[in-house]
Amino acid sequence: MGKNLRYLILLIFTVLVIDCKKPYNPPAIVAANSYLVVDGIINSGTDSTTIRLTQTTNLSSKITVSPVLHAVVVVESDLNATYPLKETKNGFYVSAGLNLDNSRKYRLRIITTAINSGKQYVSDFVSVVNSPPIDSINYTLNNDGIAIFSNTHDAKNLTRYYRWDYQETWVFTANFHSHYKSDGYLVTARNFREDDVYKCWRTDTSNTIVLGSSAKLVNDVIVNNPITSIASSSEKLGTKYSILVKQYGLSADAYKFWQNLKKNTEQLGGVFDAQPSQIIGNIHCVTDPSEPVIGYISAGRYSSVRIFIDNAQLPRWSTANPYPLCKVDTFLFRYPVPGTRDTVNQVNIAINYLSKANSNPKDPLIPIEALPVRPGDAVPMGYTGSQRVCVDCTLRGTNKQPAFWK
Amino acid sequence: MRKIYLLTICCLFLLQIVSGQQNPVKLFSLSLQQSPISSLINEIETKSSYHFYYDATQFDSLKVSLQVIDKPLETVLELVLKNTGFHYAITGEKVFLTKGRQIRTDLAPGYTMAAPAMPNNQTATADYTTELDKKIPDATTENKLYEIGLKTNTIKSGNAILSGYVRNIKSGEAVVGASIYVAATKTGVATDQFGYFNITLPRGRHTLNIRGLGMRDTRRQIFLYTDGKLNIEMQEQVNSLKEVKISGEKVANVRSVELGITRLNIKDIKQIPTAFGEADVLKVVLTLPGVTSVGEATTGFNVRGGAADENLILLDGSTIYNPAHFFGFFAAFNPDIVKDIELYKSSIPEKFGGRLSSVLDITNREGNKKIFTGSAGIGLLTSRLNVEGPIIKDKTSFIFGGRTTYSDWLLSALPEAYKHSSASFYDFNLDISHQINDKNNLYVSSYISNDKFRLNSDTNYSYSNKSILLKWKHNFNNKLYSVVSGGVDRYQYDVNSTANAINAYDLNFKINQTNFKTDFNYYLSNKHTITFGLSSILYHVNPGSFEPDGAKSLILPQVVSPEQALESALYLGDKFDVTADLTISAGIRYNIYSYLGAHTVDQYAPNLPRDAANVLDSTSYKSGQFINTYSAPDIRVSARYLLNDNLSVKAAYNTLHQYIHLLSNSTSISPTDIYKLSDPNIKPESGDQVSFGIFKNARANTIEMSVEVYYKRLRNYLDYRSGAVLLLNEHIERDVINTRGKAYGAEFLVKKTAGKLNGWFSYTYSRTFLRQDDPYAGEFINGGKYYPANYDKPHAFNFTGNYKFTHRYSISLDMAYSTGRPITLPIAKYIYAGSERVFYSDRNVYRIPDYFRSDFSLNIEGNHKIHQKTHNSWTIGVYNLTGRQNAYSTFFTEQSGVISGYKLSIFAAPIPFINYNIRF
Repeated sequence: MGKNLRYLILLIFTVLVIDCKKPYNPPAIVAANSYLVVDGIINSGTDSTTIRLTQTTNLSSKITVSPVLHAVVVVESDLNATYPLKETKNGFYVSAGLNLDNSRKYRLRIITTAINSGKQYVSDFVSVVNSPPIDSINYTLNNDGIAIFSNTHDAKNLTRYYRWDYQETWVFTANFHSHYKSDGYLVTARNFREDDVYKCWRTDTSNTIVLGSSAKLVNDVIVNNPITSIASSSEKLGTKYSILVKQYGLSADAYKFWQNLKKNTEQLGGVFDAQPSQIIGNIHCVTDPSEPVIGYISAGRYSSVRIFIDNAQLPRWSTANPYPLCKVDTFLFRYPVPGTRDTVNQVNIAINYLSKANSNPKDPLIPIEALPVRPGDAVPMGYTGSQRVCVDCTLRGTNKQPAFWK
Repeated sequence: MRKIYLLTICCLFLLQIVSGQQNPVKLFSLSLQQSPISSLINEIETKSSYHFYYDATQFDSLKVSLQVIDKPLETVLELVLKNTGFHYAITGEKVFLTKGRQIRTDLAPGYTMAAPAMPNNQTATADYTTELDKKIPDATTENKLYEIGLKTNTIKSGNAILSGYVRNIKSGEAVVGASIYVAATKTGVATDQFGYFNITLPRGRHTLNIRGLGMRDTRRQIFLYTDGKLNIEMQEQVNSLKEVKISGEKVANVRSVELGITRLNIKDIKQIPTAFGEADVLKVVLTLPGVTSVGEATTGFNVRGGAADENLILLDGSTIYNPAHFFGFFAAFNPDIVKDIELYKSSIPEKFGGRLSSVLDITNREGNKKIFTGSAGIGLLTSRLNVEGPIIKDKTSFIFGGRTTYSDWLLSALPEAYKHSSASFYDFNLDISHQINDKNNLYVSSYISNDKFRLNSDTNYSYSNKSILLKWKHNFNNKLYSVVSGGVDRYQYDVNSTANAINAYDLNFKINQTNFKTDFNYYLSNKHTITFGLSSILYHVNPGSFEPDGAKSLILPQVVSPEQALESALYLGDKFDVTADLTISAGIRYNIYSYLGAHTVDQYAPNLPRDAANVLDSTSYKSGQFINTYSAPDIRVSARYLLNDNLSVKAAYNTLHQYIHLLSNSTSISPTDIYKLSDPNIKPESGDQVSFGIFKNARANTIEMSVEVYYKRLRNYLDYRSGAVLLLNEHIERDVINTRGKAYGAEFLVKKTAGKLNGWFSYTYSRTFLRQDDPYAGEFINGGKYYPANYDKPHAFNFTGNYKFTHRYSISLDMAYSTGRPITLPIAKYIYAGSERVFYSDRNVYRIPDYFRSDFSLNIEGNHKIHQKTHNSWTIGVYNLTGRQNAYSTFFTEQSGVISGYKLSIFAAPIPFINYNIRF
């Protein structure tokens, strides 16, 4: 009884606690809910200001981004100065450093084209909140990997509310180092200076909202505020990793908005978590005041710090290979077909993608190394090769070293 | 016993024969002045052949003064012994003189007007006259005729009042809600919370039919001469025996004047399967029509469209703020101590107030006044123990109950990810009841519950209820009694985290209420029962203190200013039996609520949203100063009209006010919700309800049917602005909005109270809507239109059944279906701050999937010998038999830039359970 009972109880609790979260597909929501989304901040410093305009899409829709094109986007001051933004692409509207007067208030005005029903939107006027410098970005080791923290303080006790976002960049390599490439018909030696696809840099931007506040503390101090954490087996830590942390100062109202946004999109679902609620930003539709507009416009200058973490600084963690099934095969120019006296050109079949013989021209294999040259022959017997994902790191990154990399 | 009856019958029979052979009447002429009885006897014995038999010592005190000429012996003795407490009996030439008891040789007076006697219904005669210092008889025998009041030979016309207590013969405990019904006159009353009753009957002979919940039906034969007292002792219904199981409500269902009241005793409650197998008071409440909850594992329940904080939960008169343990998996009430529960959904008696939706009145048993007993139960996660017994036999008794959990070892056996959770709770009850004398009773009840848990994080939560109450019941006379009580109730919680030394904190919330209450019950006449009284509650709320924990912590201490308020009420009610068929109960409760200093209150510019920018002024008030006062009357009216013995219609109208509000931003009541008192900026909630019902009993009252409809309005119910911060908020009024609500519905109930198969099923159609009607709140929810409340579940169906195969084996099946709860769904997605996010719909416009659950349990009783050292029983069962994965909530969350929808289920598979109970 004793042992069985124990199993029974374990079973109960397993069911109870662990199996309680299941995927749920809501009834298809077909109504065309298309609201304006305004993402970005008015940068009061020397850096450029970038505002992105998109529209919400239906949950069931496959389109994730629906940019709003050809809109008029203008930053306005409470002294009626205007600073127009220029459309670049995909709904991005950019202006060079605005160098704004920090004592004034600013807002954003948006006028969409007739295609987007020609509406006019304005944000509330906001004061400039500049972020104090980041004191340090550091990391700690734990069993599962590393955790990255930020520290800052404002001696004047003015900022109080903070938001961070970050850009991570790391070096990684393909599974196999390719020395050759195919131009479609022929395999030639690779130009390592321009065309090395073994070592790449990948950059990701943060996708969680990181917030912090010292409002409840005596001093405006943020100590060991968690920015992100990386699993020990992550490829990010395989060679060398860098993170650029940007710190924004927020007004109390803006902080409320971000917290609400985070609560609604990142923190729901626990038994004691808050109910979702509609997110109200500080942008309003002038033409139709009942139309919800998503986004919050702040103005200010951010501060940033970049750090590097070399694999050598870390314990000897093993890195999980993203493509563990990769393997190298050999391909001969003259492969004797068993049981016949015929031969086939395996290099053409598998690698030379423009060759008529190629069996899979859309995803040809990439040559890696040359096989030995048979005495008397001018060319090698063939090449080793593997799937593109196993060889070409540019599928997931860039082989151009970023300017900041050191 | 039976032998004695037979003997008596034989004797009576013989005496009859003897008296039948009597000689021609002899006449006496006597003259005596203050003489002892012996003189009289001597004279008679010398003048005739009569011989007297009596105990001379008993007749010492009797002095005889007499002047008769030519009277028969009967007349002489009649004159001599009238109103003396002495009696005579003459058979042939033998005369028996007795004190207290009469040897009767003829049929009792009034015998002819009584119903024809049943064969075994011969009465043994005993006579009781009322004397002030005489012990009130305990009527324990069905076939005995109890004579009440001053005995007279002729019966005066008119009515007399009979009052007394109905008690359990074994434990001496009061039987609450027992009905006493006289079929011949169609008069019926029910005992009150102390087992006290008061009934007005025509003088003469009556048969009282007495029915009590969990007790065997019984009857008493009385002969009512004048006003008098009779205490009735009832036998407990021995579990699973073949007698028809009777519920105290059987007659009450049709006859009582109230609507929307359910009374359940612990035996009914114990038949209903629950997860983990322990009888659960709150889970049973959820099976009743008109009661819903937002989901499993929630502390709160919703009655007729009211919010969870609109229920007044009383444990023996003490207010319990958090009635659950372990995130709501267990009710915080010990099933071994609880006697019965009453839920008032519509007709709320005048003596209750302060909450809008319902009163759940939980009554604990009184300790056994005769012997020491106890019980224990062992379940998968909890164990409980109860001990009770007399302190002074028949006068003072105690009852103690305790429960605790040992779930920690279980949690530690879980995989790494859950290993760091812990949960524990306990609760204790200690109640003492003392009978000072016939007129005065004293009761002390105390309760403490405590919960501690850590859910896989570094944060520790704990909460606790503590209550103590002293109650004094005083009977002024047959018609008037009072109950005076005073006590303290406390609820507090604590959240702390020490994981990051810089941010280590300790968060505290506390509510303390001191109650004083007097209730009077006055039986003015057979037609009027008057209740009146007053109550006062002094609240002290510490809405939150946030303090650094440890020397390194940089936390700035933040203490939200404490709040004080005094809530008082005066009430008067009358239950008026207009005719035998029409009864009206009407009452008024006048509430006076004052918000007290010390406090600082902000004044906001009129007609503008309440936020920091619109503060005009703020005023500081000194300690004890009255800041503002709200007063309002509550009206409580209900009426019943009896169409025939088994069919009645009832109607009721109620208004209620509530001055304390639970602020909770999450779906369920969570341990970090706070209570807020009404203040100048937060108006009291108010509501009224009109209801109508038809009640029918069938098959000799074993099947009860009812249909009730209601319409309810709520005003100033608090809802929240988007992203409201409720914790540690000095200015809550800026984050809440006033809403107006309406709720309506129909409830159908069929209940079978007797037979091998018993149970009930109910169907409820109900709707609850809220509307934010404050144009200056700064934001509109759903554009200012009505939106369904979180707990709006239009269709709810419940079945609870128990089938007894034999005396030892019974099975219970419980089924519940309800429409899914409304939720706010995401309706669009967008990219913002580097991630795809969702945009939510208007509030509560969609619903989660419907809820269905069925539970099964098998109850095995030990053998049924009544006299054995221990009785034991097993309960084995399965909770959520079909394993349906009911959605507790659905949510959408973003991970690595992708939005996924999830459904959270609690108890997502069949859960077997086993429980062992022992009684000693």
